[in-house]
Amino acid sequence: MIWVSYRQQRTQLITLLAILVLGAAAVLLLRSSMVGDLARLGLENCHGASPAGLAECSKKIDEFQKSWYDTIKLGMLGLLLLPVLIGMFIGAPLFAREFEQGTHVLATSQSVSRVRWALSKILVGLLPALAVLLILQKLVSWWALTAGEFGPLDGGPYSTFIFGSANIAPLTYTLFAFCLGMFVGALARRVLVGMTVTLGVFVALRAFLGSLQDRLLPTERIASPVEVGFQTPKGALNVGMGGYLDASGQAVPYEQSSKITQQCFAEGVKDTYACLRDHGLTGTYADAIPVSQAGTMHLIEGSIFLVLTALLVAGTILVLRRQS
Amino acid sequence: MNWQRPSGRAVPVIAEGLGKKYRRGWALRECSVEIPDNRIVALVGPNGAGKSTFMGLITGMLAPTAGQISVFGDRPQGNGLHPAVSYLSQAKPLYKDFTVAETLKLGAKTNPTWDQKYAEYLVEQAQVPMKAKVGTLSGGQRTRVALALALGRKPRLLLLDEPLADLDPLAREVVLRTLVTEARNQGITVLLSSHVLAELENVCDHLLLLGNGEVQVAGDVAELLSKHVVLTGPVNAPVPVPQQKIIGMTVDEHRRRLLVPVELAHVGQPWAPSAPRLGELALAYMRRSALEKAA
Repeated sequence: MIWVSYRQQRTQLITLLAILVLGAAAVLLLRSSMVGDLARLGLENCHGASPAGLAECSKKIDEFQKSWYDTIKLGMLGLLLLPVLIGMFIGAPLFAREFEQGTHVLATSQSVSRVRWALSKILVGLLPALAVLLILQKLVSWWALTAGEFGPLDGGPYSTFIFGSANIAPLTYTLFAFCLGMFVGALARRVLVGMTVTLGVFVALRAFLGSLQDRLLPTERIASPVEVGFQTPKGALNVGMGGYLDASGQAVPYEQSSKITQQCFAEGVKDTYACLRDHGLTGTYADAIPVSQAGTMHLIEGSIFLVLTALLVAGTILVLRRQS
Repeated sequence: MNWQRPSGRAVPVIAEGLGKKYRRGWALRECSVEIPDNRIVALVGPNGAGKSTFMGLITGMLAPTAGQISVFGDRPQGNGLHPAVSYLSQAKPLYKDFTVAETLKLGAKTNPTWDQKYAEYLVEQAQVPMKAKVGTLSGGQRTRVALALALGRKPRLLLLDEPLADLDPLAREVVLRTLVTEARNQGITVLLSSHVLAELENVCDHLLLLGNGEVQVAGDVAELLSKHVVLTGPVNAPVPVPQQKIIGMTVDEHRRRLLVPVELAHVGQPWAPSAPRLGELALAYMRRSALEKAA
């Protein structure tokens, strides 16, 4: 049965292999060229550069980023797109094409149970796709890591491109997108319906869960003296607007603080900070989910996708087993 | 229910009160029949009589709404075809981008009872090139490959849903001849559905006639023929038997032909009894069920 599934999905498997070879070659070539740039510019001395070297460094960093920042992001974009493409072009046709061409009758007319038939198709479609995805993810993240803080990683683990291409995210997205395509395709018995719905639902769910991110984990409050102003650790996920604190460390309600700030930031006020302190606003705060929680965030989002994936697999088996 | 016969060999198909209802109504109702072993069965009826539904119920692709069905003693499940049954649907689905050899390999990989030599023999006999893609074959060749795939798994019951519908007359004859030869040699029960009985008349030895979703006639052909008689007489002669006894009547310019039960064979002059032909008999029953439906 594995042979039959392999033979049927040969075109997709060859395409996957081509994507892997081209993608890996591109990353390897680009990365080695980037390593050359890093050495030529001497950026290794700019990590936490001293104020004296700062101006010099920032020029170099600008030059480096001009050629590499978006290029690395492009690699990450590829990782963001691959899951939904796998869902649309491997998941959706998996059963829908058989129903469209009536060949599901051929498969189920042999001495193979429908469940075994389905499982072998799923495995042959899914495992190579996952392998290609994971290899490419490893390569792109290695490339991004080489650029380090000079590359897109400076945005922190919660930025859209980093989060979606790091940790278990690509894996869970792919599992979900594949099973979504497979389920909708089997249910609608139309490849095109399967592809369209997969694209729509996947994008919508990713956007929805992305917008939920700041509510999934407890925030940490970072307080600073009023003179320092709003500050959050680099890379943390800001939640809410932040605000002012009074002398006892309590947050001052916005209606109250906004009146004071209007007054103190008005023209003619000599010492704004003294003014703020005089009115009881001694500090500022910002709420953020710290960088260290990114792994937990991945686990939570990943679990949601995995639960949905399990439901889709069960739904597909039900649809396929159904006697009409 | 006793599925097992005293002979020990399970009966290919037994249906009892079998019914299948779709949203649009009953496709098959109150169907109680038995398909005996080692027969070539013609499953005949007008379009929409329930032929495909009956086959679907045997394969387990459809679930019965009422009654029960047993295939070699087992109840068909949605989970796969009975190992002793091969099914070739009307569309004769094959993977178009597979070669003929790959199609046979599919059969080998998915059937523990597969006989590769036999399947290859059937393909060679049909003179279909092994390396050709299935999508490039003619209708007749495709049917032969599909048949090789169905027979290669050595079934004891072969279900063929309108296998000849899209073939030219020459290909029809060849396919039928192959089918009958193989069925006889291998001891396979074949259930052939068609809305044209004429093409099955010479090969089948058992008839199952459906009409309006119900069984109209079922039995061995020889027995059925011996129970009926055709009375031929002049067009203007009075009909010699009661109206309700007449199963079918055809009239041409000179003669009237009445199909009646064999007990009424000797009604005397000017009516001459003769043995009916199977096609005539089936057509008469089909007409009658169509009339009943209209009434």
